[in-house]
Amino acid sequence: MAQQAPQVQRPTFLSALGPRRDPEEASGRWPFYWTRAIYSGYGRRGFRGGGGWATDYPKGDRQFLVVLKRLVRLDAYDWENAISLADPQLRRFPVVYMVEPGRMDMTEAEVEGLRAFLDAGGFLIVDDFWGQREWSQFEYNMRRMYPDKAIVDVTLDHPIYSSYYDIEVVKQVPAINNARRGGTSECYGCEPWIRGMYDDEGRLMVIINFNTDLGDAWEWAEDPRYPLEYSTYAYEMGVNMIVYAMSH
Amino acid sequence: MMDRIFEFLFKYRPLVFEQGDFTFAAPGSVRLWLVAAGLVGAAAVASYTIARGKSSVTDRGIMAGLRVALFALLVFCLWQPVLILSTVVPQQNFVGVLIDDSQSMLLPDEDGTPRASFLEEAFTPDQSELLAALSDRFALRFFRFSDVASRIDGPDELTFDGTHTNLGGALDAARVELSGVPLSGLVMITDGAHNGDRPLSEALVPLQASGVPVFTVGLGEEAISPDIEIGRVEMPRAVLEGSALIVDVVVTQTGFGQLTVPIIVEDDLEIVAEEFVELGPDGEPVVARISLELEGAGPRRVHFRIPTQSGERVERNNARTVQIEVRGEREKILYLEGEPRFELKFMRRAVADDENIQLVVLQRTAEGKFLRLEISDSTELQFGFPSSREELYQYRSLIIGSVEASFFSHDQLQMIADFVSDRGGGLLMLGGRSAFAEGGWAGTPVEEVMPVVLGEPAGGDDGFFAEIAVKPTPAGLSHAAVQLGQAGDAVSARWDSLPPVTVVNPISEVRPGATELLTGTSADLSDDQVVLAFQRYGRGKSIAMTVQDSWLWQMIPALEDQSHETFWKQALRWLIDGVPDAVEVVTDQEQVEPGETVRLVATVGDSTYIEVNDASVTASITSPSGLVEEVPVEWTVERDGEYVVEFRPSEFGEYEVDITAERDGQTLGSDRTYLNAAPSDEEYFGANRHTQTLRRIADETGGQFYTPDNVETLPDDITITGAGVTLVEQMSLWDMPFLFFLMLTLMGAEWGFRRIRGLV
Repeated sequence: MAQQAPQVQRPTFLSALGPRRDPEEASGRWPFYWTRAIYSGYGRRGFRGGGGWATDYPKGDRQFLVVLKRLVRLDAYDWENAISLADPQLRRFPVVYMVEPGRMDMTEAEVEGLRAFLDAGGFLIVDDFWGQREWSQFEYNMRRMYPDKAIVDVTLDHPIYSSYYDIEVVKQVPAINNARRGGTSECYGCEPWIRGMYDDEGRLMVIINFNTDLGDAWEWAEDPRYPLEYSTYAYEMGVNMIVYAMSH
Repeated sequence: MMDRIFEFLFKYRPLVFEQGDFTFAAPGSVRLWLVAAGLVGAAAVASYTIARGKSSVTDRGIMAGLRVALFALLVFCLWQPVLILSTVVPQQNFVGVLIDDSQSMLLPDEDGTPRASFLEEAFTPDQSELLAALSDRFALRFFRFSDVASRIDGPDELTFDGTHTNLGGALDAARVELSGVPLSGLVMITDGAHNGDRPLSEALVPLQASGVPVFTVGLGEEAISPDIEIGRVEMPRAVLEGSALIVDVVVTQTGFGQLTVPIIVEDDLEIVAEEFVELGPDGEPVVARISLELEGAGPRRVHFRIPTQSGERVERNNARTVQIEVRGEREKILYLEGEPRFELKFMRRAVADDENIQLVVLQRTAEGKFLRLEISDSTELQFGFPSSREELYQYRSLIIGSVEASFFSHDQLQMIADFVSDRGGGLLMLGGRSAFAEGGWAGTPVEEVMPVVLGEPAGGDDGFFAEIAVKPTPAGLSHAAVQLGQAGDAVSARWDSLPPVTVVNPISEVRPGATELLTGTSADLSDDQVVLAFQRYGRGKSIAMTVQDSWLWQMIPALEDQSHETFWKQALRWLIDGVPDAVEVVTDQEQVEPGETVRLVATVGDSTYIEVNDASVTASITSPSGLVEEVPVEWTVERDGEYVVEFRPSEFGEYEVDITAERDGQTLGSDRTYLNAAPSDEEYFGANRHTQTLRRIADETGGQFYTPDNVETLPDDITITGAGVTLVEQMSLWDMPFLFFLMLTLMGAEWGFRRIRGLV
């Protein structure tokens, strides 16, 4: 009988996470909270009973934070931090991540909350929605906030691509299932596109990762079946967006 | 009145007794006279002792005493008491008469007559007793003086158009001019409003040494009432364009009571601020603090005025004009941040549209990796935080965010301290996990630069964390940096409306000499948190802002609330305000009149701000009409790096002075300043009679102080107190009416006593 190798208890990344935030205490104990927007939507009921906002939640958030803190000198809160766009506390977290807005249907309170957040200087990262139909739905919701504000391409000469890593190519990051099959796109002929909305002073306030799924790469980076090329790109892009959002 | 009574009783004025030496003029030995007096006294006493009758011993004693006193008085008179005086020889001595020829002499007194009318009364030939009395005894030499003094033939040459009164200069000029003649004294006729630059004592010492007394005649009223005067305006000489300025205006009133009046501030005829001030009690100055902002770079003349009130006696002292240079440069501030933080993002946003501030950012994003923003070229900060003084000193101010002290080498820490003390830069330290004591700054060279006291680092796994409400301290309420664009009571209200923020560095004490401008309160804290404090350190200043998330003042309030932007704009402008350049030039006066001398003072340092004494410094002076004059500026020797040259503007208008300093063919730096040559209103400020000054001049030189009411004794007084060619004179005292009255009193007393006691 072959001798069994001794069982080694590998620490999971969760065991290294710091204390949870006291909900009674004002935010601020940590300078940075990776914050996910809770918004109203329709159709697909997402992860664990949540809407589309909860896609990859919370594993993606926690895993992203672990890597983020290794790469960047950032005193960030270790845990997920989801908050409704209608919650007045939203403005305590100047960077907010919004995922799968293709089926988003914000309430008026959410529209007002997000507009006030952005007008005050908040930064919104949008990710993981695909195809024209989802774009239209997303754009419709943006138009409810800013009827006249243009949504424009964020070209590769923008400083967001060099705030930490030098990113020279925009890649289409696949969801885990597509990646296993060797593909990247979730819709026929969809090209990755990074677009943005600027405030009246010309400052980027919304970055839109369209036809790509950074969140899945963050969530499944430890999975050997997930291509390193895409998880690397997703983390680089994520780090750049945060460093940029915290300095511009 | 008392002097007149004295003179009636004692024959001479008190001054004669002060100046004279008392003695007896009767011939013979004193002993003989004493024997005679003793015999007479003894005979008187004996006659009473021997006498019998119904008188008691006490009665006889009193009568004997009165009689002895009477005899003693007679003996005193027989001894011929005299005063020995040294008096000047008539017509052998000179007296200089110095007459104030400035504008203030035309100010009317309460009865409506100008001060100068005294001169007409006192110095009209063939009509004036004073002039006649002086002319009989002395050769008179007249001088007029205002900012300079000059000889005149007589008071009819006075024009009363001088714009300054330089008492010391006038005394100097007269002393020098009359140094070759026997001089009995100087008579100075003025209101005493000395507004010259030179201390008066410098002119008095030579007069004391040469024994020349000065007799001062004070004109005008001690207090002009009713009147309002802007005494002083305290404003910096240079300010960055668009900065909030806090200006102190000192206002004094007499006769109006505690009236409330507006102070109107105008820049180029446009009203830029108006503030109401409640005047203080008579003669007590009050300080009005006015907040204003000046737009547009260049030299400016800011006009402060209080509208003339009904019945006011002097109108021209209700306004002051102050020169200020509004600088339009883009000043560089280096902001070092130890990690990505929202504080940086929102501070950048707050000052993004400020064309005068270049906020250069060096943000550490990972170990040895930095994000550089707003750099001037690709080489700037390419190796991280500056490691040489030349590199660091190119910035005017330094902001250090959440960065641990161990990030720096010891040399760099010392360099930061020197940046403040030697270079004169501004240092702002922000709160954060790696700031202050928690960042290991205690014990470093920078610690003593900080305006706050660092305690032990907050311990525990979670460290220190508190949410605080911020409000201004009393000092903060009047400080430009924390006004939030408001004024008066609205400042506190605006701070109260802001959301609470958080701190992770417990700091509750400022250093001695530091000023706390913002304080934070929390139910979780036993001591209030020092939120914003500053101190001067060496040539520069250091500021501590202990909050870690002031950006909440931007994110939480309504969009139209500009508190965060305003706070940081003003704070950063305050940070760079007054930070010197390596080469600078100033004038010793803000405003002069054509013909007046002004000193240009340049300070010259190299790129590390070490004073340079072997530089070649040139001033290029451009007159209002465009004439350019180049003059060398010489090292003073007295002070390292200080170069001085004097020049005299000849035209009215604005002069532009450009200074360039070079060494070994290399330009060390250049600077520009402005000088306004304009008529001065100085004579209308503090235009009351300055009795104390005039008394001091007289007392310190051995002269006397007079007013027009008692000046008629002046000729006699100079005669007995003056210097020059003198002779000794005896002035007899035996015939003083007082002695006669005393004798009658003694005789009457004895007679009355006898009647009362029935001894007649």
